[in-house]
Amino acid sequence: MTTDPQQQQMIREAMKAIAERRPGRSKLVYDKTKRTIVAVTDGAQTPRALNITADDADMFAVATLSAQWLTDRWATLRRERVVPVRFSSWDDGDALTQFELGPLPAYSLVEGVVLLGEETPSPAGTTLRIVLHLGKGPVSEDSTFVAPDGSIHHAKTQVRNNGKDESLDTQFVDLQPELALRRSALLETNVLKHKTAVLFGLGTGGGHAAVELAKCGVGRFDLVDPDRLTVGNVVRHPGGLSQVGRLKIRVMRDMIQDKNPDAQVTIHPIEVTAENIETIRPLIARGDVVICGTDNRPSKLLINRLCVKQNKVALYGGAFRRAYGGQVLRVRPKASPCYECFVAAMPEESTDEEISSQGAADAIAYSDRPVAVEPGLSLDVLPIANMLTKLALMELVADTSSTLKVLKADYGAPWYLWLNRPEPGTRYADWPPMSESIDEMTINRWYGIDFARDADCPVCGDFIESIAASYGLDPKNFGDLPAPPTKE
Amino acid sequence: MWTSDQRNRLYLENEILHREGFTQFSVYWYKDTDTYEASGNTWSSSGKLYTLAIPIPSGFPQARPPMYITYPAPLYAANGTPISALGVSHDMHTLAPSSGQVQICHWRDNRWHSGILLHKVFLKGLIWIEAYEQHLATGRPLAEFVSTMKEYA
Repeated sequence: MTTDPQQQQMIREAMKAIAERRPGRSKLVYDKTKRTIVAVTDGAQTPRALNITADDADMFAVATLSAQWLTDRWATLRRERVVPVRFSSWDDGDALTQFELGPLPAYSLVEGVVLLGEETPSPAGTTLRIVLHLGKGPVSEDSTFVAPDGSIHHAKTQVRNNGKDESLDTQFVDLQPELALRRSALLETNVLKHKTAVLFGLGTGGGHAAVELAKCGVGRFDLVDPDRLTVGNVVRHPGGLSQVGRLKIRVMRDMIQDKNPDAQVTIHPIEVTAENIETIRPLIARGDVVICGTDNRPSKLLINRLCVKQNKVALYGGAFRRAYGGQVLRVRPKASPCYECFVAAMPEESTDEEISSQGAADAIAYSDRPVAVEPGLSLDVLPIANMLTKLALMELVADTSSTLKVLKADYGAPWYLWLNRPEPGTRYADWPPMSESIDEMTINRWYGIDFARDADCPVCGDFIESIAASYGLDPKNFGDLPAPPTKE
Repeated sequence: MWTSDQRNRLYLENEILHREGFTQFSVYWYKDTDTYEASGNTWSSSGKLYTLAIPIPSGFPQARPPMYITYPAPLYAANGTPISALGVSHDMHTLAPSSGQVQICHWRDNRWHSGILLHKVFLKGLIWIEAYEQHLATGRPLAEFVSTMKEYA
């Protein structure tokens, strides 16, 4: 396909003239001297051979409209013979996408109408008109609309541009069937539609996990994060520069619904702290899986306590410093180690956290010894986000007959370790090169690692009973504490 | 509102303090406000009096409790500057003060977990006091003495 804009314009005009069977300003002719087809416009000839391919046929602009949207308005259209419709205009009008199709509009909008029959006049000021002509099959064409009453209509779309009407291709789309097509054989889409994922922390890891779950068909989301998207976030976060300054939960809500328009997304711009526990607790209660992607330990400890208490499976994902690797911990309350067990069993691993934001840096820094935000590549964080998503998905389809069930044994461990590089100064520095090792641990491989619950864990174990017993105390006899001494 | 687990934990903390020989400290319940504080007077090796106070946060034990020196107040550095004026200081091992009271850095947020008992927190407070007096005697940063003693904590 040619990329020369002049050639593209000439071919477009010539092909349109051919399609409409009328003489145009441009036409395609065979140049005997060059032995190829060239485009000619009013005597001017394109300088090079065109090398026209099948892709050139796609140079016509296209207007995309939801078939369901039109079905819902069919009664109105029958009665009024006209319904208004708004389009996002992309790439100088090369693609006109119905505004309601997704939550993210283009900078430029085009007002249009759908008309029933050619004779229906367009309202004044209308830029785009889609005229439905009653006809017969075939119904397989994109531009064919089958009305609720079974009648078949062929659409012709015109857009007014610089005082002239130009034809566009029209395509009606069926959102849900087309979205489900590539996952229906693998996932219980109808089951996922009614599942709720609760995500705490919508940074790079949480953000990517949210979008991936939406792509899988998860239908309900609770997003918790008080932070706004910054310029520094953009090189890793799903959100882009055009969204800087927005709350991350709003950015992610739109991205989720851009992938899964039926998803119900509730947003909560709050910190994960004990002060907000009355808001957080019911979110966890209604979740089918909890994903904790926060960047500080106090929030993880709090989520862990609430999830264990409410018997909710929780996943804790995080990158190591400078994203040299990362880990995911899955907690099935009482059945696997909880986050506090993890902290007790692996104090170094649980403390090795990436300093990905100024807030995280400030939290561990003395103000006279500032800690810098550390660099970390998006591509090094994404494997962790993907594992986080996969484990969440496994939990969500656990009680169904999904194809993913065959992975149950593969994902039996509670803790998953991934290394992007053998970082100097870490216990992984001497790992052998991936290219030389088959049976030793290397980078770029996931390792599921088992470890035992702490029977005396303060959250999922018998901490109080155990400690009390070691001091010869009986918790049954615990009472009130003394009042403070009176100050003199 | 405190859970029964939290109230049991605080009762246990009080018992452990006393059974571990930290009888100068207790966990108190302020019935009117339904709040808790662990506190007490203690004496350094040189015989000077200090008061340590740990107001119990509502998220305890998952939330790290802050520890303050409430007496003497103000508490001065060797150069005569109130330590609270230094704010968050690596050299003095302090975190953000509250109402002019010095907050000792015992565990950082990213190291704290629910298994740490209050008697260990008070132990770190006692170490800080000894390091503080060395700082007063030598003028060298308190952090130098804390790091030396940390291995024995």
